[in-house]
Amino acid sequence: MRRIVLINILFLAGLLGLAGQSAEERYSQAGQLYSSGDYSGAAAIYRKLWEEGFRSEDLLYNTGNAFFKAGDNATAILFYERAKLMAPADEDIDYNLQIARSRITDRFETVPQLFFVRWFDFLALLTSTNIWAVTALAMFITSLLLALVFLTKSRARGRLLSFWLSVATLIMALLMISLAVRNNSLVNHNRKAVITCSIVTGRSAPGETGNELFVLHSGTTVTVEQELGEYREVRLPDGNKGWIGSSCMEKI
Amino acid sequence: MRRTTTVLVLFLASLAALAQEVTLTVDAPGSAAAGERFRIIYSVNSTDGQFTPPKFDPSFSVQGPQQSTSRNVQWVNGDVKTVSTTTLVYYVVAGTPGTYTIPAATFESRKVTVSSPEKQIVITAGGSSQAAAGQGQQQGQSQSANTGESPSAGTDVSMKILLSEREVYFGEPVTGTLKLYTRINLSGIQELRYPDFKGFLKEDIETPPLRSLETEVIDGVQYGTGVIQRFVLYPQVSGELRIDPAEMTVLVQERTGTRDPFFDDPFFDNFFSSVSTVPRKVATLPVTVRVKPLPEPRPADFHGAVGSFTMESSISGADAKLNDAITMTVTLRGTGNLNLAGEPVINFPQGIEKYDPKVTLRGGGTATGTKVFEYLLIPRNTGTFEIPPVSYSVFDPRQGKYVTLRAGGFSVSVTGTPGQEEGAAPVYIPGEDVKYLGQDIRYIRNGDGRLTTLSSPLVSTLHYWLWFALALFVAGAVLLLRRGQMKRNADIAGLRNRRASRNARTRLAKANALLKSGKNDLVNAEIARALWGYLGDRLRIPQSEITRDKCNAALRQRNTGEDLLTELDMVLTATEYSQYAPLSEGESPAALARRAAALIGRLDDVLD
Repeated sequence: MRRIVLINILFLAGLLGLAGQSAEERYSQAGQLYSSGDYSGAAAIYRKLWEEGFRSEDLLYNTGNAFFKAGDNATAILFYERAKLMAPADEDIDYNLQIARSRITDRFETVPQLFFVRWFDFLALLTSTNIWAVTALAMFITSLLLALVFLTKSRARGRLLSFWLSVATLIMALLMISLAVRNNSLVNHNRKAVITCSIVTGRSAPGETGNELFVLHSGTTVTVEQELGEYREVRLPDGNKGWIGSSCMEKI
Repeated sequence: MRRTTTVLVLFLASLAALAQEVTLTVDAPGSAAAGERFRIIYSVNSTDGQFTPPKFDPSFSVQGPQQSTSRNVQWVNGDVKTVSTTTLVYYVVAGTPGTYTIPAATFESRKVTVSSPEKQIVITAGGSSQAAAGQGQQQGQSQSANTGESPSAGTDVSMKILLSEREVYFGEPVTGTLKLYTRINLSGIQELRYPDFKGFLKEDIETPPLRSLETEVIDGVQYGTGVIQRFVLYPQVSGELRIDPAEMTVLVQERTGTRDPFFDDPFFDNFFSSVSTVPRKVATLPVTVRVKPLPEPRPADFHGAVGSFTMESSISGADAKLNDAITMTVTLRGTGNLNLAGEPVINFPQGIEKYDPKVTLRGGGTATGTKVFEYLLIPRNTGTFEIPPVSYSVFDPRQGKYVTLRAGGFSVSVTGTPGQEEGAAPVYIPGEDVKYLGQDIRYIRNGDGRLTTLSSPLVSTLHYWLWFALALFVAGAVLLLRRGQMKRNADIAGLRNRRASRNARTRLAKANALLKSGKNDLVNAEIARALWGYLGDRLRIPQSEITRDKCNAALRQRNTGEDLLTELDMVLTATEYSQYAPLSEGESPAALARRAAALIGRLDDVLD
């Protein structure tokens, strides 16, 4: 843990040295640009902050707004989707994402996820993966201590209580581990991608030879199923699959 | 004619030998079709006499006679022989079929009267299409390769459809010429009626109106010819296609009025007779064309073009603005059925809006022409679009196979800003109080942004999971240690248990020894220690925690009898009492020691 923190500090220091301005200063500068109507300038600064590794739901939300106002609906959707991963319960993000989606070409009948998957994902995204991970470890250790009490103490009343507490904390720990893993896969290994090309043709095979299956326009969210060289097999929200060049999409 | 001449010469020779004997001959066809015009020619080797024509059947319509006279003067061995021949030609059209007899004609000279032989003629029901039946059709057949160039002999006016090809492929254009042949003067043409050219698509070629005839000699006969109409035929079905006769009415100049048997000659007619125009029907022969079907399979990009073509393509600009039209032009050039050539199918990339092409046709048919397809394209998206090369198959009848033409594709780069079509009506959501004027995203969040840096996820590192292993390991180790300790403790207790009676007896023996040495005050304490030690070891209660209640409870658990408990209580009370009241009023120490020993014995029995 300490080493990661140390690396992070070094990384940050390097970034600050390069940028000359603190990240917070640039963040507020972008906000001023946005207020004055220079949406493209604001979007550029926000995006640069994101590329340098800064994260916060506000940053992602503002980036999405700036791109939306600059006319790039696809990138706006991309950042709103990213923001949603950091703040699943944020109503503003949902609202703006819905408006951005209404401005794109492709319409899909989306099949909603099963309710428990939605709930689980929502729970997983409530906090960051590392907080889940640390809590899970703490829970596990608590569970072990309670188990030790159960196994070593001979008095009947304390034994029973410690046994049940141990089982409960163990279940909690396992749940939190799975939430941490789910959060990690949603945030850091998300298979969803947003189409950034104005128009792109989905083919039945990687390359330019396959039969043309469908046409996607910018802003459509797809799920990457397979990767082969420069081509990605994507699944559309309605369940169809096809191959698209990787240059025409950006992963969430 | 030539035959007639030969006959005449032979006649003349015989006449010379027979010293001017007058003969009258008749020359008529053995059969003719109803409605057909045929000739009956009477020849007489004299110019001096009266010719009486036969009485023709009333169903015959007779024109003529056309009279001609020739004189032949010969000097043979000093004799002068003059031979004169008169020929009279009747043009007859028989109305109804049947067998007719043409009765004899007579020629009455100053010396003799001769008559011609009777002649049988069979009129067949053939209609006018079989006009010029005998000779005409024979000629047509023998000259089929020559497309029946010459008109039927024996007719003065005829008309022909001349085709450039008699055997073509489906769709291959054929040039046709409708041509007039005449040997007599015509004053005009009326009522040209084309057949319906079933199975063909006909396209007229601009033909100058017929003003003067050209002279053409066919089979030694001089005709005046003229092209009435040129046209192009495109076969639309395959198989043997018959072109029905074309019909036309010509105005024939015909002499009327009195006839001078001696100057009955068309040349002189102009001077001596009045002339009237008579309409006469002329029809062509039917013509058949063999249309070969196009070979199968046809290529997918074949759209009906048959001929010899080239193709090229061009585009108005490789750079285009969003929503600004560009034009792509595909030009098909060559000879063939350009008017029937369908538009090439071009797979324009998605994002470019395509409209139906504007088609311009110039020329075509059997002459070289061009067909221009102009595609209006409107790019609706930005980016670089590849318009694929145009592929277009045509059937080349000369090679007898399909030829695929290709023209280059283009790369169009479209620039511009999308989505600037403002002016969408504001959205009104029906409501009582609040009027929504529009829709926009919510404003950004200012503030410090609560920026954090990207940290690597713990779950994907090994050391995070090692923490779990470590915790489990530590817990396991603690458990093992504790369990070992407990086990050892248990062992000590067992040992004590086993040694409990012995220790107690040792202590009681010590008490007896103290009794003997007179130290009575210590005896009771030793007995008490022996009892408590025994109970503690036997009941596994640590000496520090032992009380009378605990002992009683432990003993009751093991179902020790109540009398034993009472006895134990009494002994313990006695030892305590005697301990704190040295001046003994109760039992003697010796008796108490005996009671204690007995009690331990009984307890041993119960607890084992």
